Amino acid sequence: MKRFVYILMAIAIGVFPLVVENTFYVYLAQTVAFTSIAVIGLNFLLGLSGQMSLGQAGFYAIGAYASAILATDYGWPLYAAIPFALIVSGIAGALVGLVAMRTRGLYLAMATLAFGFIVEIVAQRWVELTGGTMGLMGVPTLDFGNFRMGPTYFFWAVGFAWLFVQIGSDYIFASRWGRNLLAIKDSESFARTVGLNVPVWRTGVFVLSAVLAGLAGTFFAHQNGFVSSDAFSIQMTLALLVAVVIGGLGRSYGPVLGTVILLAIDEGSASLHNFSLMIYGGILLLVLLGFPEGATGVIRKLVPSGLRRALLVAPSLPVAAPLEEVFSQKRRGESVGLSVEAISKSYSGILAAQNVNLSVAPGTVHALIGPNGAGKSTVINVIAGLYDADSGRIRIGDTDLTKLPAHKRARLGLARTFQNLQLIGSLPVLDNVLLGMECDAQHTGGFLRWLIDPNHERAVRGQAMSILQLFGIEEFAGHYPDDLSYGHRKLVELARAVAQHPKVMLLDEPVAGINTQEVKEIGQGILMLRELGITVLLVEHNMEFVMRVSDRITVLDYGQVIADGVPAEVRANPKVIEAYLGVEGETT
Amino acid sequence: MLDTYLQILVSGLAMGAIYTLTAKGLFIAHLATHKLNFAQGDFLMIGAFLSMSMMLAGIPVLLTALLVLIAMGLLGWGLERFAIRPLDRFGLGGGGGTYSWILTTAGVGLILQNIAELVWGKSSHYSPPLFSEGRGNVIEIAGINLFAEEILVMGFATVVVVFFYYMLFRSRWGRAVYAVAFNPEAAMLLGIDVRRTVVLVFVLASLLAGVSGILIGPLITIHPHIGLTFTIKALAVAAIGGFSNPLGILIGGLLFGVTEAFSNYYDSAFGDLYPLLFVLIFLAFRPSGLFGETRADVR
Repeated sequence: MKRFVYILMAIAIGVFPLVVENTFYVYLAQTVAFTSIAVIGLNFLLGLSGQMSLGQAGFYAIGAYASAILATDYGWPLYAAIPFALIVSGIAGALVGLVAMRTRGLYLAMATLAFGFIVEIVAQRWVELTGGTMGLMGVPTLDFGNFRMGPTYFFWAVGFAWLFVQIGSDYIFASRWGRNLLAIKDSESFARTVGLNVPVWRTGVFVLSAVLAGLAGTFFAHQNGFVSSDAFSIQMTLALLVAVVIGGLGRSYGPVLGTVILLAIDEGSASLHNFSLMIYGGILLLVLLGFPEGATGVIRKLVPSGLRRALLVAPSLPVAAPLEEVFSQKRRGESVGLSVEAISKSYSGILAAQNVNLSVAPGTVHALIGPNGAGKSTVINVIAGLYDADSGRIRIGDTDLTKLPAHKRARLGLARTFQNLQLIGSLPVLDNVLLGMECDAQHTGGFLRWLIDPNHERAVRGQAMSILQLFGIEEFAGHYPDDLSYGHRKLVELARAVAQHPKVMLLDEPVAGINTQEVKEIGQGILMLRELGITVLLVEHNMEFVMRVSDRITVLDYGQVIADGVPAEVRANPKVIEAYLGVEGETT
Repeated sequence: MLDTYLQILVSGLAMGAIYTLTAKGLFIAHLATHKLNFAQGDFLMIGAFLSMSMMLAGIPVLLTALLVLIAMGLLGWGLERFAIRPLDRFGLGGGGGTYSWILTTAGVGLILQNIAELVWGKSSHYSPPLFSEGRGNVIEIAGINLFAEEILVMGFATVVVVFFYYMLFRSRWGRAVYAVAFNPEAAMLLGIDVRRTVVLVFVLASLLAGVSGILIGPLITIHPHIGLTFTIKALAVAAIGGFSNPLGILIGGLLFGVTEAFSNYYDSAFGDLYPLLFVLIFLAFRPSGLFGETRADVR
């Protein structure tokens, strides 16, 4: 199906400049093609990874100048100048990405805005290099040595470049890449606990979007043979943003649709050039306030739902794989323990955990309990790697985790659930479970498999389904987390953690806030984890539940361990009773 | 030589005071709503143009200031009402994701630039001085000649900043802002009118841009596109203060202004870019600003 669409598009690109006589339309189509490439990059950045950039024109300008200057002043052939220009824009992207890695949201918007501004000003004032506003003349056009056929050849070059990028974009949207980016966008701590190296991903997307903007810039430079700094103002950045928003943010075909609409508006309102800023501003307001899903959203609404379902080749719900395929028998015999040695952690002077020792035997369920503020969540977060301990050591089996970041701990077999659920709202339940499976999945040949197979993730999806079945929630596989009851969402989170094939699982208040029936279901789920050979450490307030599922209990109070033993011992321990109920002496 | 340095220092401090004022508007809006106006610089530009036109029309300075501030207050109200609040109904799933407000406020900025182009033309204008008789009016302090206008701008900006701090930390309204910043729902339960506080915050932010605009008119040449640089610089200054520390913004603003004045003196071609580059590098190493604390994203 996909293949035929792409072949059709390729034919259309091939035929277009031969059929269309009017060179102006060919010129416009060229512009649509290369501008779309920049917009696709922005769509990855903003639509998938949720990072705002107000400096895309900067990368576009860097690509354009690098290629144009190398080709004119240094006489480089275009096949060398263009790739080099892409490297230069990539480096610029990485440098700005360094800021992106450390900051987010508003800061990132500010930093990119400043970056774009700096590039514009440098282009304007460094006249010896860039020609400033007067421009760089005599830039060779990309005509493959044939002046008469130049525009046609150029159109083919940009058209196929666009098609190539568009196919890549479709793949990212339909595969784990897009899923991972959405996870990072929604919740970074979630992404880290499923083993994603968040800073690398964020910077990577930034570099990718910079390279795509740079590519568009090089095409721009070699389309007209003239580059002036006027082209790269903040308006250019806003135009790219207008295009991505108008098309539909976070949709693979949003960028090309948005670019077509934007250029149509530009051409249509050419006589109103005195109002061009107002038109851009008005579009931004109108689309964001009135049609936030953009043109793709409007089209979706217009197309009858039956036809849409027939057209959309969304993979249907998979058949559950046999459980043996998901959890090999061998792994069950390989349980490892978790040991926490003398962990201390303080927040600005307050000791939240003090010399905490904890030893969880392989393949057992161990509970960590204590009154509110006893430091239980701190201990869990320190083990998971979301907080750094001030001192102490953490090991699973023989592996020392103390110095490792959260995502590496996750990859070594440490999974967790959160006290406040962390599910990715923009993905269906099944995909949330798939997120858990990413870190040990095989990716080689993923792209080719996707290209030829309409259901390229069949195997992993089957496994994810099987895990959902294990928890009795397979019927919700296609629903979105927000549509589920709180208890079911907790089960989904459990399923997601199990999908990571963990050796050790940390459960932060697994039954808080759910009804007794659901408590029972979660309890069964936890016993099943033990069955699968997973070592469990859980924090919980519901004593009845804790006593029922735990093999051993450790009690914390004021950041210190006050008791440790099997449930019956702990229940009888006077210190524990004192910590929970207080003693007579304390109240007087 | 010392004369020159002192003159540069004073110009730097005067510009720094303006940056601080503009950045305060960003800070207060961000504090209460985690959003701010990406057209803050364009608001400043409108304030500067309005005050220029009124003064040229012979309206006394004080009345001009009052009228400009009323107009700016309305503009701030309109911004919140028509470009920011309507986004709430989409929740987090709006078109621009969590950051739709960046694009809508930037869109308002473009519209304002276009209006300014239509009303005042695209060329540069000079605003008459506010306090002294002429632009070049100098006063002599300790044997050194300084521009009177700059000294007065600086002094006035200081007064506004002090008043702002007083409002924020001592008044009931300031405490309401902090309560809304901490948790809007809890603030609502405490009987604070959250919506009104949010509107007021944007009105105040707009007023601060207006004051900056009135004050800056006589110091620089104004044209419809000066806004962007002020937005960027005010954002940079607010980022130095970590968007959370009002003292950091004051220090950041003055530092930024002075650094810029000196780097402009030594490199007239690219001088204004160095402070921005410094801020970017600074942010890469200290992402939470001068006094900000890094908070882990843990739930």
